[in-house]
Amino acid sequence: MSELAGTVRSKPQATEDTPARRVRRFLLQPAALGLLFGLLAAILLGRWFTTQATDQVTAQTQGRMAILEASALAESVGALAAANPDDPSPLQTALAAWAERSPGADTIRVVRLDGARLLASTRPTDLQGELPRRLVKEEKWLFDLGQELRAAIDTNRAEGIFRKAQIDVARPGQGRIRVTVPYLIEGTVSGIIVHDRPLPPASTGSAKSTLWPLLIAVPVVAFWLIALLFERAAPRSPRAQRWILFGVALALFAGGWLAFANRAMDSLDAGAIAGSTEVSRAYQELRTRVPAEAMAEGGAANAWDVDLFQRPRNLLAADGTVDAKAASQALERVREPLGRSLAGNLVLGVVILGFFGLGAARKLRETLSEFRYAYAYVSPAMFGMLILVFFPFAYGIALSFTGQTIFNTNQPLTELFVGLQNYKDILGDFDVARHTAEGWVINYQNFYWTLFITICWTVANVAIGVTLGMILALALNTPGLRFKAVYRVLLILPWAIPNYITALIWKALFHQQFGAINQAIAMFGGEPVAWFDGVFTSFITGLATNGWLSFPFMMVVILGGLQSISADMYEAATVEGATRSQQFWRITLPLLKPTLVPAVILSVVWTFNMFNVIYLVSGGAPAGANEILITKAYKIAFEEYRYAYSAAYSTVIFLILLVYGVFQTRMTRATEAVNT
Amino acid sequence: MNTDRRDSLRKRLGALIAIAGLAMGSAATAATELTVWHAYRGDEKAAFEKVVGQYNAKQKDVVVRTLAVPYDAYADKITASVPRGKGPDVFIFAQDRLGGWVEAGQTIEPIDFFIEDKTVNQLVPGMMAAMTYRDTVYGLPLNFKSIAMIYNTALVKAPPKTTAELVKLAKGMTDASTGRFGLAYEYSNFFFHAALMNAFGGQVFAPGPTPVIDSPQNIAAVKTMLKWYKQDGILPADPSSTLIASLFNDGKAPIVFSGPWFLGEVQDKVKYAIAPLPTVTEAGGKPMRPWLTIEGVYISAASTKKEQAYKFGEYLLSPEAAIVLALEGGQLPTNKAVYADPRVLKNPTLQGFRKQLDTAVPMPNYAEMTLMWSPVTTAMNKIVKGSATPEAALKEAQDTMKGNIAKLRKGR
Repeated sequence: MSELAGTVRSKPQATEDTPARRVRRFLLQPAALGLLFGLLAAILLGRWFTTQATDQVTAQTQGRMAILEASALAESVGALAAANPDDPSPLQTALAAWAERSPGADTIRVVRLDGARLLASTRPTDLQGELPRRLVKEEKWLFDLGQELRAAIDTNRAEGIFRKAQIDVARPGQGRIRVTVPYLIEGTVSGIIVHDRPLPPASTGSAKSTLWPLLIAVPVVAFWLIALLFERAAPRSPRAQRWILFGVALALFAGGWLAFANRAMDSLDAGAIAGSTEVSRAYQELRTRVPAEAMAEGGAANAWDVDLFQRPRNLLAADGTVDAKAASQALERVREPLGRSLAGNLVLGVVILGFFGLGAARKLRETLSEFRYAYAYVSPAMFGMLILVFFPFAYGIALSFTGQTIFNTNQPLTELFVGLQNYKDILGDFDVARHTAEGWVINYQNFYWTLFITICWTVANVAIGVTLGMILALALNTPGLRFKAVYRVLLILPWAIPNYITALIWKALFHQQFGAINQAIAMFGGEPVAWFDGVFTSFITGLATNGWLSFPFMMVVILGGLQSISADMYEAATVEGATRSQQFWRITLPLLKPTLVPAVILSVVWTFNMFNVIYLVSGGAPAGANEILITKAYKIAFEEYRYAYSAAYSTVIFLILLVYGVFQTRMTRATEAVNT
Repeated sequence: MNTDRRDSLRKRLGALIAIAGLAMGSAATAATELTVWHAYRGDEKAAFEKVVGQYNAKQKDVVVRTLAVPYDAYADKITASVPRGKGPDVFIFAQDRLGGWVEAGQTIEPIDFFIEDKTVNQLVPGMMAAMTYRDTVYGLPLNFKSIAMIYNTALVKAPPKTTAELVKLAKGMTDASTGRFGLAYEYSNFFFHAALMNAFGGQVFAPGPTPVIDSPQNIAAVKTMLKWYKQDGILPADPSSTLIASLFNDGKAPIVFSGPWFLGEVQDKVKYAIAPLPTVTEAGGKPMRPWLTIEGVYISAASTKKEQAYKFGEYLLSPEAAIVLALEGGQLPTNKAVYADPRVLKNPTLQGFRKQLDTAVPMPNYAEMTLMWSPVTTAMNKIVKGSATPEAALKEAQDTMKGNIAKLRKGR
């Protein structure tokens, strides 16, 4: 292997110094490559972000214009339908007139939910048949959409918040937009207007820039020129040379990125400004169509320019003029995310530049080729780990920064981002105990209480496991003990039985009236104990069960350790007159340490996350007081349905165990050091 | 017995071959395939598959395939697969998750548009409410279940009609020292307690999905339960379903409040009968009104064969299918024609649970229902253990639930 690596490394040296190679080496020097790839990544990604942002602005403008018109329609349709409840013909006339004035091939449909009826329509196929009529099977989606919007309005009203969209905007085909707005009669939803129209001709501000290759080429060429100058100048140490060239590349990169970012922001601004002017113009035109009496009363906000929740956007005044201040605020809202993305690109570009420019890329390439067999062998396992371990892990961590609950699983995580809020809620809540008239009341739902219980639980369990295991191991280790094998099998049994079965049996043993433990207590004249009623007694039930489950492991480990201690030591100690207890403390325990410490460390981690016993035996009774962190996380996710909060909770558990893990490694190393 | 089994085996084999043959035959004509998920086991599964077989034999357009999904994983599987365009065309589940699925979106297809009056009119009353969420119908009600009074006929001659009679009878049969109790039911489990709560006019949500756990009616209902347990001493402590089954089987509890699922645990030696739950003397003679769970047939929002799926759902509700579900599956179909059938009339179990339906109320199907269980269970345990007064415990549950609901609902 090393021989192979040697040949790979020495190869370039062997075939050096033809002029063509020197030119190539100059052109492809690390800093130049870094600059090229950094700029490529930053600008191509930046173009994608910019296109997304400008498209979003365009889509928003188009959506606003379409909603504006549909809202105006809904208002006049509502008025007409209320005025002529039994005769839909005025409605039909009005729709026809409206569609005639629209510039494109618009179709407007009015659906009444009651009886699923198509009241009026401007679609040619509908006009051939009789109107109004019941919706046909193919039009089920119209009815369902209407029901959905009606339910959305009802829900938002009942809950006093805006949770569900009250207007539906869809793009049914290339270049078309369909807006569905409910119309109301006497405050309740009667039906919907479905307005299907060509996309309004919203200008995108500026034509797509084709200058970007220049923005990459100019800095790279400039870099070559500068590098050439440096090479001609006084010779420097290779190290200084590398840093200077890296600095030059960095400056050129920053310049290229700045030029690009400025242009991107400008085009976004232009698009947004043009958009709001167009919406304003569209509104002025609409005002001429709707009869004066159907107009909303004048107010500060425009009643037709609304968002999906039918809340005024406050971007247009009632008379249709653009509210400059609100418009610039709205612009800021689009600029900000784009600015953030572009800044992210800057960082990415610099990282790439550094990666190449500072030689990390070359080192990586060399390592990969040197250990290529090793990497080939581990790659399947790495792939498996990636999918089965790291992806869910990363997803869980990403989830913990969102606000996902059962109600919004259909929204993408990016829309639910809440930052560190969940962590703040978990770690920042110190409401552990409160003083009331009846004394101190502990808030069992608090994270710190659960952490306290988890630590008590872990410490107590490990102590019990080690003590019991030690006693039994010492007993089994008695020389000349008969039926040793039988005892050993019997004592290992609790470990061999699936632990949920054991847990359920122990739960039954602790039953207040029918459990064997209380019956035994009663037999000796004691009062039966309501085990799951008290915090302490309930804790004891879990402890007893887990003690039962965990001592065999400790026993086996300790027994192994005991058998490796030489009998000579004890003989010598006996000759010197040491007592049994002295022998235990001075010989047995110190020599057991190397076996005991790893076992204890392992069992701490197992016990810390011992879900089965807590969940099945006490279930956290009473009132969640005996919950440990892992069962609590489960309950938050699957009983309270707050997925993101639970993910944050799990991440906190992970961090606690991570800290413990670091501590564990130190400990293990320390014992090893003592041992050798 | 033995020949019976062999016969049924032969029948089943025959049915299997028939289905297989049919499937092959229809594959040739390229009929549409519908996938149905259910969580049935044992007799219920056999009956359901028989009904599906009947449907496949009856028409040529579609071939319905069934898949039994283990109950524990069922709801999560639906939640995970359907919104991503996978999963079944039709699935069957109780109404308690309906609200959650509708809120999450893209899971259940609304079927208001398909439903005809004649489909609804053939059902026993009150079924559609469970399938309706925010005034939109999402499912076809297939079977219903509720608890009723199951009593040991060897020990109880005439079932008590009122709770006063019940307590009197139960007191006479209770002897805590030998582990005998006059009445056994999971009184600290809110699902069972709901019957008493409804008798007092209590509710979990009113109006809409606003919790009212600590209403005076709910407190009164809990106090009555507490009186039975503490003062009258007719109920065992820590009532789990296994404990109740063993008490009933040992003849140590003559009366049990439970549902059809309990009958599977009753040993053959115990002769039992089913009667409606008594009226509650403490609530002025109002009947106990247990919660109904209704299995709905839902059409997946991701299905591309919604119309065929609905047709199949309609067939499941028809008398022809329902009678099989009742007689062979031991279920309680929603079709009322079934209960006029002489074979069903002769079946005391079906008749008993059918009678209970007259006073039962559908369990709410709000998405918020799923948030109710944890705080309410905590409260009931505290009350039964005496670590909190009913007022305080229910108030706490109410506050917790309100808080949790507020955390779930976020405006935009």
